Amino acid sequence: MAVFNLKKREIECKIVFYGPGRCGKTTNLEYIFRAYKKQVEGEMVSINTEGDRTLFFDFLPMELGKIKGCDVRVQLFTVPGQVHYSSTRKLVLRGVDGIVFVADSLDVRREKNMQSLKDLQQNLKDYGLNIFKIPLVLQYNKRDLANTGMPIMSLEKMEKDLNRQLKAASLPASAVTGEGIGKTLQESLKLTLQSLQKQFNWAQK
Amino acid sequence: MSKKIKSLLQQAKLYRSQGLMGEAEKKYKLVEELIKESDQLPNKQKLLNGLSKKIDSLNKEVKAIESAPTTPEMSEHVNELIKKLFSFSSKEKNESETALEGAIALAKFGQFEGALEEFGKLLKVKSQKFSAAKNILRCHLEMGDIESATDQMEKWEKDNMFSSDQLEKITVFFDDIVDKKGLRKELAVSKEPEEKVASEDELENGEEFLDISAVAISFDSGPYKGEQIELDVSFQSGNVISLIISSKDEALIENMKVDARLDDVHFYSPVAIFRGAGIVSAMTQIKSGPKKGDYSLDIKIESL
Ligand SMILES: Nc1nc2c(ncn2[C@@H]2O[C@H](COP(=O)(O)OP(=O)(O)OP(=O)(O)O)[C@@H](O)[C@H]2O)c(=O)[nH]1
Ligand SMILES: [Mg+2]
Repeated sequence: MAVFNLKKREIECKIVFYGPGRCGKTTNLEYIFRAYKKQVEGEMVSINTEGDRTLFFDFLPMELGKIKGCDVRVQLFTVPGQVHYSSTRKLVLRGVDGIVFVADSLDVRREKNMQSLKDLQQNLKDYGLNIFKIPLVLQYNKRDLANTGMPIMSLEKMEKDLNRQLKAASLPASAVTGEGIGKTLQESLKLTLQSLQKQFNWAQK
Repeated sequence: MSKKIKSLLQQAKLYRSQGLMGEAEKKYKLVEELIKESDQLPNKQKLLNGLSKKIDSLNKEVKAIESAPTTPEMSEHVNELIKKLFSFSSKEKNESETALEGAIALAKFGQFEGALEEFGKLLKVKSQKFSAAKNILRCHLEMGDIESATDQMEKWEKDNMFSSDQLEKITVFFDDIVDKKGLRKELAVSKEPEEKVASEDELENGEEFLDISAVAISFDSGPYKGEQIELDVSFQSGNVISLIISSKDEALIENMKVDARLDDVHFYSPVAIFRGAGIVSAMTQIKSGPKKGDYSLDIKIESL
């Protein structure tokens, strides 16, 4: 939930990385943590269970500096992707300003991607939010696996599966190599701040 | 053939390394079948043995994952963070409301000890003590500790912490969870659940109404006897929520009347599910627009 302090010209927003279990949400945040050290405000907190699965959430606070005369801070979260953590997932989503949906490019995760997107839509709806209107970026992760001969889906197929109706911004990435991760974050921030500008008109004219 | 097997094994290995256990197992099973069916493969048995070792160790890993605690106690630091990150009261709201939300967040993440500490502090804040008390009971019961919960209630009664009205509501709340969790048999002297009668002013003790996103109504008579119907809330104003009943759902429409009392309703809110009762306060057929013909049903929440 964005927090504005117009007197001090501060703005804080929340971006949530959503997606099926094991798609690479935590790896996204870990990469951002390493690659954007300067902008990271403090530590990354990960609450995991057995096998490095996220149990509650990952949390990474960032300080982006001045944007249009405002000090912008952003809190990055990941949700636990595994199906049976649905109530935690919903709780973490609360107050979200922007979403990165991380989809798994592996063939075998095709249905899980779709189910997770549907779950996202339902949870947003429960909070009175609309998946078509919320700032949303789709990330097709694990593209590096293409070089290893592992069966992965083509980008076209993923677009068709996940983005035919949504028509959200989408991009390929690999959280392991870091390719596309910075771009994903930038795109999400851009959309989120634009949307907050529309709603709250915070930028200096 | 052996090329295919090799590729399948590689896939299984990758899936396993990524924690995709089900997918890995499927590939192993597929390889198993291929080996069994093949006539050309040398040292078939050896291959199968190796494979079943792989499957065994995979299953062990799955067990470890499945048996990991879902709500381990976290460090102080993490608990502070959870409180801070998941209390959403806006800055205009007062400190104690934010504290209450933070404590509820702790409880939601299964951090009951930490939550109990916070709720304990809030018992001293007049505007929050009623909510705090209910949540204290909830925490004890979530931990399966009925005794602490009943001790608490006795103590509150003895110390005159609450008005008799409030105390009654707290008891009803307690009974409700006990029933829901099937803990009744553990209560030494089981009490008859008291009749819930919520009067107008009972609902006005400074409690804010939670946003209800959906309800599930259980019926103990009529065509839906024994069933639970789930409906989305389309609008809420204070303690009145509006639902839409599709014109196709004739049985439900038949069953609903103004002033009808719904004794068992689950109210789904963003923070939790509450069980309570409601009264149908209005029911009107929609005359125009996309929902024409459907019914709009208002339910007044009587108790949560
Ligand atoms: N090859 C490859 N592997 C990846 C990539 N991203 C993540 N992984 C691997 O996928 C596995 C799961 O990654 P996580 O980041 O823990 O996934 P998650 O989405 O946080 O999973 P949950 O917390 O269970 O929801 C790990 O073994 C990662 O190394 C990627 O881009 N390429
Ligand atoms: Mg994770």
